[in-house]
Amino acid sequence: MTPYRFSERIMHAVAAVSFVYLLLTGLAFWTPALYWIATVLGGGFLTRAVHPWVGVVLAVAVTWMFVTWSGVMRITDEDRAWRRSMGHYIRNEDDRMPAVGRFNYGQKMLFWVMAGSTLALLVSGLVLWLPHYVPRSLAPLREIAILAHALAALLTIGAFIVHVYMGVAVVPGGLKAILHGGTTTDHAGARR
Amino acid sequence: MAATLNIVRVSASPPAAGIRSEPTIAKLVDTSTCIGCKACEVACQEWNDLPPETTVQMGTYQTMPDMTSNVWNLIRFSEHDTDDGFHWLMRKDQCMHCAEPGCLIACPAPGAIVQYANGIVDFHQDACIGCGYCMTGCPFNVPKFAEKTRRVYKCTMCVDRVAVGLQPACVKACPTSCLQFGTKDAMLQAANRRVEQLKENGFPQAAVYDPPGVGGTSVVTVLAFGDRPELYGLPASPVVPRAVLFWKGALKGIGNLAIAGGVLAAAVHFIRYGRKQKAP
Amino acid sequence: MTNGWTDIRNADVVLAMGGNPAENHPVGFRFVMEARRNRNAKLVCIDPRFTRTAAVADCFVQIRVGTDIAFLGGLIHYALSRNRVHDDYVRAFTNATFLLKESYAFDAEKGLFSGWNDESKSYTDTSSWGYELDERGFAKTDPAMQHPRSVFQVMKAFYARYTPDAVANICGCRAEDFLKAADLITSTHTRDRAGTIMYALGWTHHSHSVQLIHAAAMQQLLLGNIGRAGGGVNALRGHANIQGGTDCGVAYHNLPGYLPIPKADHESLDAFVAAVTPKPLSPTATNFWSNTDRFMVSQLKAYYGAHATRENGFGYRLHPRLPQAEAAGYENWSWAYMFDHMYHGRMEGFFSFGMNPVSNGPHSKKAVAALSKLKWLVVAENFEQETAAFWRDDIQALVDKKPEDVQTEVFLLPAANFAEKDGSFVNSARWIQWKWKAVDPPGEAKPDQEIIARIFLKVRELYEQEGGRRPDPIRHLNWWYTNPAQPSLDEVAKEINGWAIGDVRDAAGSVVVRAGQQLSRAADARADGSTLSGNWLYIGMYTDAGNLTQRRTAADPSGLGRHPEWAFSWPANRRILYNRCSADPEGRPWDPSRPAIAWSGSRWTGDVPDITADSPPSAGLGAFMMLPEGVARLFVPGQFVDGPWSEHYEPSESPVANPLHPTQSANPAVKPFRTEYDVLGTADEYPIVCTTYRLTEHFHYWTKNNPYSMQLQPEFFVEIPEQLAADKGIANGDRVRVSSARGFVEGRAMVTRRIKPMQVAGKTTYQVGFPIHWGFLGRGKQQGALANLVTPTIVDPNSFAPEYKGFLVKLEKL
Repeated sequence: MTPYRFSERIMHAVAAVSFVYLLLTGLAFWTPALYWIATVLGGGFLTRAVHPWVGVVLAVAVTWMFVTWSGVMRITDEDRAWRRSMGHYIRNEDDRMPAVGRFNYGQKMLFWVMAGSTLALLVSGLVLWLPHYVPRSLAPLREIAILAHALAALLTIGAFIVHVYMGVAVVPGGLKAILHGGTTTDHAGARR
Repeated sequence: MAATLNIVRVSASPPAAGIRSEPTIAKLVDTSTCIGCKACEVACQEWNDLPPETTVQMGTYQTMPDMTSNVWNLIRFSEHDTDDGFHWLMRKDQCMHCAEPGCLIACPAPGAIVQYANGIVDFHQDACIGCGYCMTGCPFNVPKFAEKTRRVYKCTMCVDRVAVGLQPACVKACPTSCLQFGTKDAMLQAANRRVEQLKENGFPQAAVYDPPGVGGTSVVTVLAFGDRPELYGLPASPVVPRAVLFWKGALKGIGNLAIAGGVLAAAVHFIRYGRKQKAP
Repeated sequence: MTNGWTDIRNADVVLAMGGNPAENHPVGFRFVMEARRNRNAKLVCIDPRFTRTAAVADCFVQIRVGTDIAFLGGLIHYALSRNRVHDDYVRAFTNATFLLKESYAFDAEKGLFSGWNDESKSYTDTSSWGYELDERGFAKTDPAMQHPRSVFQVMKAFYARYTPDAVANICGCRAEDFLKAADLITSTHTRDRAGTIMYALGWTHHSHSVQLIHAAAMQQLLLGNIGRAGGGVNALRGHANIQGGTDCGVAYHNLPGYLPIPKADHESLDAFVAAVTPKPLSPTATNFWSNTDRFMVSQLKAYYGAHATRENGFGYRLHPRLPQAEAAGYENWSWAYMFDHMYHGRMEGFFSFGMNPVSNGPHSKKAVAALSKLKWLVVAENFEQETAAFWRDDIQALVDKKPEDVQTEVFLLPAANFAEKDGSFVNSARWIQWKWKAVDPPGEAKPDQEIIARIFLKVRELYEQEGGRRPDPIRHLNWWYTNPAQPSLDEVAKEINGWAIGDVRDAAGSVVVRAGQQLSRAADARADGSTLSGNWLYIGMYTDAGNLTQRRTAADPSGLGRHPEWAFSWPANRRILYNRCSADPEGRPWDPSRPAIAWSGSRWTGDVPDITADSPPSAGLGAFMMLPEGVARLFVPGQFVDGPWSEHYEPSESPVANPLHPTQSANPAVKPFRTEYDVLGTADEYPIVCTTYRLTEHFHYWTKNNPYSMQLQPEFFVEIPEQLAADKGIANGDRVRVSSARGFVEGRAMVTRRIKPMQVAGKTTYQVGFPIHWGFLGRGKQQGALANLVTPTIVDPNSFAPEYKGFLVKLEKL
């Protein structure tokens, strides 16, 4: 297993921090029950002003990740075999999993979901950022943007939950690997 | 806040504290007696101390293409040819003060938009976060964003005047009584009388515009061409955008469940299977 | 106005013509809307453009600029030929029954009345424009109106030429549209219907403007609409106090109260009174002007106080008299003539108070050239404006001069505006309404009366120190005010109303007004010097009961919007003029639901009667107390210089020769000026008809200093019909130039369907128009867009109002 390079770890940290900020502030706007998060983070007005800029930061980080990793993230036959055995992985029966490369199918899916969703969030976010520049004739664009942003955000939240859970709770050394560059012993089963 | 008991709905908040019983008020806009004098435009700016905008003459009597954060009402001029002649239509555009306000529904900032018992929908800019969702929620394209303050503004129905028993500034300034102010029942009555008169006088299609799609509005408009509100720049059957309703309704529920479900699933998984073993 | 704003709500038909009340009188226009809402009244709008009034009208007809008389003539013909005339009314209250002189004639081929002198090209003998008199000097009548020389029959024959097709051909409208409008308008000939006319500068700014109002009056008399609630001929005055200005003698030919100005050959008071007091033409005429001596003497007492004595003809010789002109008649000092005099170097100095001649006079270039010939110019204004700055390089460039060429010394005095001083406004409805200062004037600005008083006191001081050629008129002026440098307007108002200097006695010798009391009735004015009154017409506005112009009681006992205790309506607090005509000869209201006055058996009740209050109907007293006929004039004997009937004459610049009489196309009595600026263009070079107008968003040349008004209407524009714009390749918002034979003005094109092309005398004719309001000074984009750079200096021969509203131009895209 190739350890995460320093640049990869920085890249991931930037994405992680910006994502968490966006997640929290986004949730504040998503439901009044969590609006207190915006209050804690400096108030609704500041939050609304900062959220789009952090969104840009995330987009930059994700683009960086995309350029760096898209090559190794291509889905292969091995991945498809891995997917068929995913039930074992979930049940922690890693010894019954086929061999994978640097990233397993689950990580690759996370990558593609995050990349696609970030693109959707960025485009819809631009419309939501500057709604007063959208002419009346394009009003449906704003409505589409609202739904697209929410749906994409929900998708990333789902992926995020799995990712964090896996990285922190399930895979030994996962957190350390992405923070400090060590290797994990996951990715499991037989390694080539 | 003194007005708390009058507030029946607050954006992004639990049910409001208002328990007062007040009649719904309304402004009557009788486009068939509007002469496009724009007294309402200036009266609004003067009462609310809104600075004038720099405009350009682009070949129309209309002051500017659309309302701005400093211009909360605008007479829209349009020309219409029919078989029996030419018509120059004028309509006062402003916040309609919907009974089901799309702006309030869309607003994520608690307290930024309120609805009073008398039907007035008002923005509280101190709580406004400038997200502009209200602009998307409004089927009439009314709220206007100010770059300088990064907040959104619109007609307040002169809530400060109405609260002390005065009529809105525009109504006060209207020379032809094309604008009238009173309870919604009274205004609907006046509007229907006028529509009957228009029907007698060669406008069989005259109608009152009080769109049910937004629960009715506190701006009751008399249209000589009632079958074609779009001639006046009004949507034919406005509704709070479905996207906004879905977003604030079903999607929010599903999303919340999904997020909670995701977290729960992780917890269950951890309890059932726990941490992976280190590879040998 | 014969009636009043609030009375318009009683109309069944409102004709808005020669005015755009929705645009220019939006507040008064509410009463039109009330009539529509409450009575289902119909609004008819006749205009060269589809205006904001047209936008809410029930019937709109577009006519060519300057053809209103043809349209009204058509209405008169329509009414007369289809028996849509209020017969009993016409017989009782007009001169339709009077017989005309045998020598009166009209040559329909030539378009000229009898008395025309072909050599001098003028009416040198108008004596034929009169009635056949009996041995007592009264006009002969034919109550049956059948006599071929009766006014009624002559009128019928005269207007027979104005058929619907002739109207359509001249006005450029469709005959069926005319007929639709005519049917609505003349529907008020019945006793249970009333119609009103609202007009303004669209009628008065023509070279035939007085005859235009005459035509309107004829139409309303035929329909029986004068003197009735919901009727009348209503002039909408354009400025808050222009009615007051007219009443108080700002025009050169009148003194306050419409007394004629003394002429050079009226050597004494007696000669003046004898020359101007009319003799009754009917035994039943009140002939109220027989009181001229009382009003004149009371006015002289106001001017000269103790210096006006019986011995010196009450100071008559101190009063200015109008000099005789070099050619014939008397000098003319009306606006356009004044600037012609100025241009010819006949004036040394000029005071301009609340006026902006460079902008608002006809043909700005001539005004600029004329002002340059003055030694001094004083402008009292709220803002620096084009006249005070006429020496600026961009304004002098209009006449190819530079600031250094100007030798005129200019003084700009900051003046308080209307809200910064007390005083009164007289509105269109003749209501004299007091107003109170809202704020103090800024900086050194002073109210007008203080500016005038200070100048006067200084001039008087100089006369007293140095003598001078004729010091007495100044030295003896009655400057009695408590604070001479700042006369209180309360004192001025008291003086205008007037008081008794000595006890005033009636014919029986008993005292009716004690010395020192304010007058309350015009009839109490005396010619013996025992009364003082600045303006007899305003007597009653400031009595011992106080300043009645300050009354604000909205009570309306009539239920018809007369509000008798709201301010004071001249004359005598009468709200509807000629209201005797609202009732039939027996004194019963024509329409009992809308009475103005009614005979109760012992007196007239209702509005203040326009007739002796206790004169029974059986006495048959004439309904028009100011006229020597006692009845209204359809045929006008001798008063107007261009004829006794209204005839359609083309504007001085017209795209076609007059279809009625091509050899006499324009008004024959018009006398053009003769300087290099007084030029006219031809239809070959300038084929497009042009008119000027005002916008509701602005007030004259004043609000270009107001940021809100400039927001609403930022820039000069030209309204152009779509088809003409297409011909010229002009798109909405393009910059265009409009040129006349006199100058050009540039601005944005407003391409519109609101002005349609017309067929005039078989020729496709286009109209364009543009608003005044912009110029050189002010906020936003001014760009020197002065509308009057293109208007002609032609004036009406009776009123001397300029022909701003109809002339020829060409149009180019820039």
